[in-house]
Amino acid sequence: MDAIYVENLVKKYQNGMQALNGVSLTVKEGEIFSLLGENGAGKSTLINILTTYLRPTSGTISVFGKDIHNEAAVIRSGIACVAQRTSIDTHLSLTENMMFQSKLYKIPKTEAKDRMEILISCFGLERYLKYPVSSYSGGVKRRLDIALNMMSNPKILFLDEPTVGMDVQSRMAMWEMMKKIRSDFGTTIFLTTHYLEEAESLSDTICIMKDGKEVLQGTPHTLRQYLQQNILKITFADKGAAKIGLKQIAKFFSGRKVVLHEEHLSVCCENSQVDLKQAGHLLFEQNIAFMGIEILQPSLEDVFIRLTSRGVS
Amino acid sequence: MSIFPILWRNVKWRYHNAFTIVITILQPMLWLLLYSAVAGQSMKGVGIENYTAFILPGLIVLVCFSACCSGGIMNYLMKADGSFFRVLIAPVQRSSIVIGQILEAVLCTFIEVVIMFVVSLFFSVKIASGFMGLVLIVFLIFMTAFFISGLAYAISLSLPNEVVYETVMSAIILPVFFLSTALFPVDTLTGGLKIAVNLNPFTHVINALRALILDGNIAQSDIIFVIILLAVLCCISFSWALHSLKKEMNL
Ligand SMILES: Nc1ncnc2c1ncn2[C@@H]1O[C@H](COP(=O)(O)OP(=O)(O)O)[C@@H](O)[C@H]1O
Ligand SMILES: [Mg+2]
Repeated sequence: MDAIYVENLVKKYQNGMQALNGVSLTVKEGEIFSLLGENGAGKSTLINILTTYLRPTSGTISVFGKDIHNEAAVIRSGIACVAQRTSIDTHLSLTENMMFQSKLYKIPKTEAKDRMEILISCFGLERYLKYPVSSYSGGVKRRLDIALNMMSNPKILFLDEPTVGMDVQSRMAMWEMMKKIRSDFGTTIFLTTHYLEEAESLSDTICIMKDGKEVLQGTPHTLRQYLQQNILKITFADKGAAKIGLKQIAKFFSGRKVVLHEEHLSVCCENSQVDLKQAGHLLFEQNIAFMGIEILQPSLEDVFIRLTSRGVS
Repeated sequence: MSIFPILWRNVKWRYHNAFTIVITILQPMLWLLLYSAVAGQSMKGVGIENYTAFILPGLIVLVCFSACCSGGIMNYLMKADGSFFRVLIAPVQRSSIVIGQILEAVLCTFIEVVIMFVVSLFFSVKIASGFMGLVLIVFLIFMTAFFISGLAYAISLSLPNEVVYETVMSAIILPVFFLSTALFPVDTLTGGLKIAVNLNPFTHVINALRALILDGNIAQSDIIFVIILLAVLCCISFSWALHSLKKEMNL
């Protein structure tokens, strides 16, 4: 059975803003599912609907086969959500926060205590036990937020941009933590992110979303052609030179996507090393002055350009 | 029932912010002390023997207001930096969330009311109606506090921030307090003012409390009327609070 099944989901806010335009996606049980999209794509809106916080305007949603309209109460006891903003009560201690969560989910006290100990050690929170929660740094608060959301042993854990604003090291630690949650507790993880490399290195399935609609869903492997295709960036002295360069480069790499931005060109690569050599060669040969040439990892925006240019549906 | 975890969370908040109890009781307590000392003498001429006992019911209602209003502030705090949204997606009945929070405000009201009563003892205030009267007083205060904190809960969810909320609440409290029998008996009034004072539900609550404290006997019909009035008001404010909470999830 699918953990989450969404078909043709539409969400129009009361103020008229249509945040979701018929999204469809499927999340398999036990996987790490990443919803990848830029700010304003509708990721938080989708999470809020799936976690029963907001009501959808139309569409079908089932969570573990249960319809979200009729069986919200049953679904609620099987899920938990780490929201974009941490939701810890700073007037409660670390353990009180965790026990409060278990009481909300009606977990028997002894069971809750055992679980709390496991989670505190699993998330490395022991050394923070003696300090007040209000003194914790953002990273520790987030870790506590995740740990306490695991108190009810949810079958699905939702995380809305869990690594936003973190440095590289904390982000890697967070990835390890999510992999550990999946392996140690068997939890299905649904996370949103706008970092390409995060979705790629962490997830079993990636769904790319733009303007309230999914663009593509697949494994990182099948999406590799879109995610890992590099970009050749050629910088010219000015716009005029760039225009001349564009003509030659477009002619040489015919059939490829070549885009002119002010005084630089970007070319979608097939084999970045070969393309770099050929482009450099061509520019020297034709005597076209340029300032630099480099290989870039694609940004999410580049992936969208590529997806739309090839007419992938 | 998940009322207790919510109640526990809010009681914990109050415990950590105990100064809010001091702040909310400060004004009623000053009134009590000042009026007992200053106005007590002059009121003897009007035929009020113990003015402290006379104004105590009004000040109890004032305490209900200030304690319960601080319960509404909690919504803003828990939204900005707390578990407000997490609780909403937990398998907890919406009514339990509202009742848990209302009960904390009621509890806080009772703590403050007890302090007021203890201080009044030094001004020779006695409850003339005895033990049964005390039970009735407790019941009336419970319903009054429940009504007001339901109102505060609903209003806090309908207003954008704490500052607006505080402004609106104080704009409500003062007229309601002065247009009641908190400070003077209603028979000293005439005309439109008298009608306004009589339309104020708190006038009847104050009158009932005053009768129980001062006279020791109260007409059964009067007390039943006040209880029914408060019950209706509690139902309205609770429904409004519940509705406001549900509206939070209906963006
Ligand atoms: N409560 C709301 N009311 C109205 N519009 C909203 C609300 N929340 C979000 N939106 C709008 O919906 C769109 C999607 O927002 P969101 O789901 O937060 O995107 P993301 O999480 O991907 O950044 C945005 O254009 C945003 O302005
Ligand atoms: Mg978001």
